[in-house]
Amino acid sequence: METNTPFIKATDVFYTHWNQDEPTLKGVSLEISPNTINVLVGPGGSGKSTLCSLFNGEIPHLLGGKFEGTVLVDGKDTHIEPVKNLSQQVGHMLQDPETMFATLYVEDEIAFGPENLLLETDEIIQRTEKLLEDIQLTPFRQNLVWNLSGGQIQKLGLAVILAMKPAMIVLDEPTANLDPHATRAVHELVLKLRDEGMTILLVTRELDDFILTAADQLIVLDDGKIMASGPVQSVLAEYGQDMLERLGIWLPETVEIGLKLRDSLKLNLPAIPISMTETLQVLADQNLLRGRITNCEPESSVAEITKKYPLISGRNLEFSYNNGFKALNDVSFDIFPGEMLAIVGRNGAGKSTLAKLMVGLQKPQQGKLTLFDHPASFWKVEALAEHIALVFQNPEHQFLTDTAYDEIAYSLMARGIVDPDEVRTQVEDWMQRLELSDFTKIHPFALSAGKKRRLGVATMLVCHPQVLLVDEPTYGQDKEMTQTLMQLMEQIRAQGVTVVMITHDMRLVQEFASRVLVMAEGKILYEGDPAQLFASEELLHAANLRPTLLQELLKEYQDRGGQVDCLIRNTDQFLEALTYTLNLEETNGG
Amino acid sequence: MADNQEQQGLVYTNRNSLMNRLYPLVKLAWVFVIAIGLFIYKSPISGAVMFVSVLLLAMLAGKIPFRQILGSSKIILMLGILLMVFHFFADPGEPLLKLGPLTITDNGLYQGPIFFFRLSVVVLASFVLIWTTDTRDLMVSLTKVGVPYRGAFAVFLALRFLPLIQREVDAVRAAHSIRGKSTSSGLGHRFKLWQRYIFTILINGLRKAETTATSLECRAFGLYPTRTYVKDIHFNPWDLVLIVVTVVLSTGLIIIEKVI
Repeated sequence: METNTPFIKATDVFYTHWNQDEPTLKGVSLEISPNTINVLVGPGGSGKSTLCSLFNGEIPHLLGGKFEGTVLVDGKDTHIEPVKNLSQQVGHMLQDPETMFATLYVEDEIAFGPENLLLETDEIIQRTEKLLEDIQLTPFRQNLVWNLSGGQIQKLGLAVILAMKPAMIVLDEPTANLDPHATRAVHELVLKLRDEGMTILLVTRELDDFILTAADQLIVLDDGKIMASGPVQSVLAEYGQDMLERLGIWLPETVEIGLKLRDSLKLNLPAIPISMTETLQVLADQNLLRGRITNCEPESSVAEITKKYPLISGRNLEFSYNNGFKALNDVSFDIFPGEMLAIVGRNGAGKSTLAKLMVGLQKPQQGKLTLFDHPASFWKVEALAEHIALVFQNPEHQFLTDTAYDEIAYSLMARGIVDPDEVRTQVEDWMQRLELSDFTKIHPFALSAGKKRRLGVATMLVCHPQVLLVDEPTYGQDKEMTQTLMQLMEQIRAQGVTVVMITHDMRLVQEFASRVLVMAEGKILYEGDPAQLFASEELLHAANLRPTLLQELLKEYQDRGGQVDCLIRNTDQFLEALTYTLNLEETNGG
Repeated sequence: MADNQEQQGLVYTNRNSLMNRLYPLVKLAWVFVIAIGLFIYKSPISGAVMFVSVLLLAMLAGKIPFRQILGSSKIILMLGILLMVFHFFADPGEPLLKLGPLTITDNGLYQGPIFFFRLSVVVLASFVLIWTTDTRDLMVSLTKVGVPYRGAFAVFLALRFLPLIQREVDAVRAAHSIRGKSTSSGLGHRFKLWQRYIFTILINGLRKAETTATSLECRAFGLYPTRTYVKDIHFNPWDLVLIVVTVVLSTGLIIIEKVI
């Protein structure tokens, strides 16, 4: 690597946004070699997106602000080189590619950049055709750009950048809200591009085994500084524990297990395992693939849950949107008191529509929906809101007042609590519980992403709903924030509130769900015990879901002579159970 | 595929019609010719003739289904009728009929329909332009007569943003209704809610617009004074027939008014 001249060389970069006092980047030095995949991770607010703007001339030429240090792109100083040259060399795909689109139709969008470059028509048509082919959007070339699925939008965003024929692409969280299959498709495309000679900087929140195996360099950003950068193995070995615990970065479960084997069990590992095969190899080498794991949660409490009388119950529900899209097709389900139900399925499976029906924003066109002992037609959205609350994906949409304090007070007053003392006590209590006490006077829009989310949850919880619906708990959140949110859900569930989460994150399902509802193409494929969902490859395949790495590992564990008799929800439980089993064997044997 | 679904409302659809194939600028000029005529006519009959001819043109040369025409122009037609009735009473002239404190005048009865047709025909003609013209083509044809493409694109981008804003409005409305009903339902409270709507949508819109502007720049927008158009459109002199016929019809009507 050292012999290569780096494509990107950043030295001591400090950058302050024009509307901020504190620098966002605080002394970043970084090298990126040509024709490599570089993965950048870091907690929310660590400066990842800002870093992405350093290479195509946005900083310093378009975004203003205060920029110190140097960035060399292919040897040229970004202080001097104009944007028009830099932006053709480095393509920057924004977090929300929809905001990049300038035209109405898919094929026009790809042609837009080359048209501005005054290329020959034939050349533009050729590029467009090839890219449409590469991103598998040829059948959708005449589609309006806003009529695409989330995965297609990301791919079109990529094509838009590639149409300029850059030498390097910067992808800012291209998979942030994609289901596992769409995520894998984007990652595969990235791998193919590298093999064709492209240099890639990929920012992500979810490091999966696939992209980690493919990456040439792993960069960890923490509070505007590069905490670590280098080959994946060495960064993981040295900083893995810190990334996991202090920075709250999602690492693949295989890596988590590797780190824990090394640190808790004090095993001497030659390398941190990333892929499934590597992890199995490590377990086999350490002679850990044996024994019968029994000391965990007993499987299934589903029978217990479903004995009760359901709060919400739908029978043969149908729903189509105005454009003719059938979102729900013969859907029947129940929600029981006190459960933690996960509704899973890929993007567009009908999960959000089902949620809208439950809170009364839409009414079923056919079938019978009973909400809290009354038919759906009985309820007005406002009245229903006292029984069931929905935490939106984007909390900004539900803010109504000018301070965080007023936001919670509004909810109380909407419930008819008018006594000022009572309101103050309750608001202060919730502020404290959600660690928002220091931000009472702050405008909700000015809070950080994690705090916005917590405030959103607080405005819902003060109403003491019987059911709390959370739409994508992981959306825009890193691991730490998601964990905090989920712990809160657990707490309120312990107080008797029913929690329903809509997600395509199977790790959340594995860790928290007591029951699961699987949706695909508007239908319910399965309703029941999560363990059985994980056990059924057919079902997972039909719903276009991926099992978690841990579940795959457990399956392999059993195939290779071990036995698992209970429910294991996370890597901690796995390791605990494993050590317990092994200790037991030792005591018995010795 | 959405082919079997009938397209409704005020949207462009390629029906492969005569009007679809017409050069966009010609259609734009045609709307102006019609508008000028309507402000000169002194008789409601001339307006009626134009109304019928635009309607026929939309249906025959534009292949626009009657239902869609009716659906989109309902509100405008109703407004036109209101305007007409208003003129019945408001215009000075010989009183013909007394309804309480109101009187209908002969002049009002004559002026009312003129105003009805002025409004409805101009709007209908612009609808025909919208139904049969791809915005992109209109933009390209504008740049060909010297409008700087940055300017022409601004209009185009505004259109591009409309559905995004619509989605945002829907999301905010849904989120607000879920917050439960407030104790005060007075006007002041309503006003505050609306303020909040606009605030949220404006903030998010501005954030989006800012990133879009940066991203356009990075895609070399505005780099050169001109740009290539893959889907170029070509002017066919025969397209002018529409203008010629309309001018002849309109002048004819004006002359007839004078003669009679």
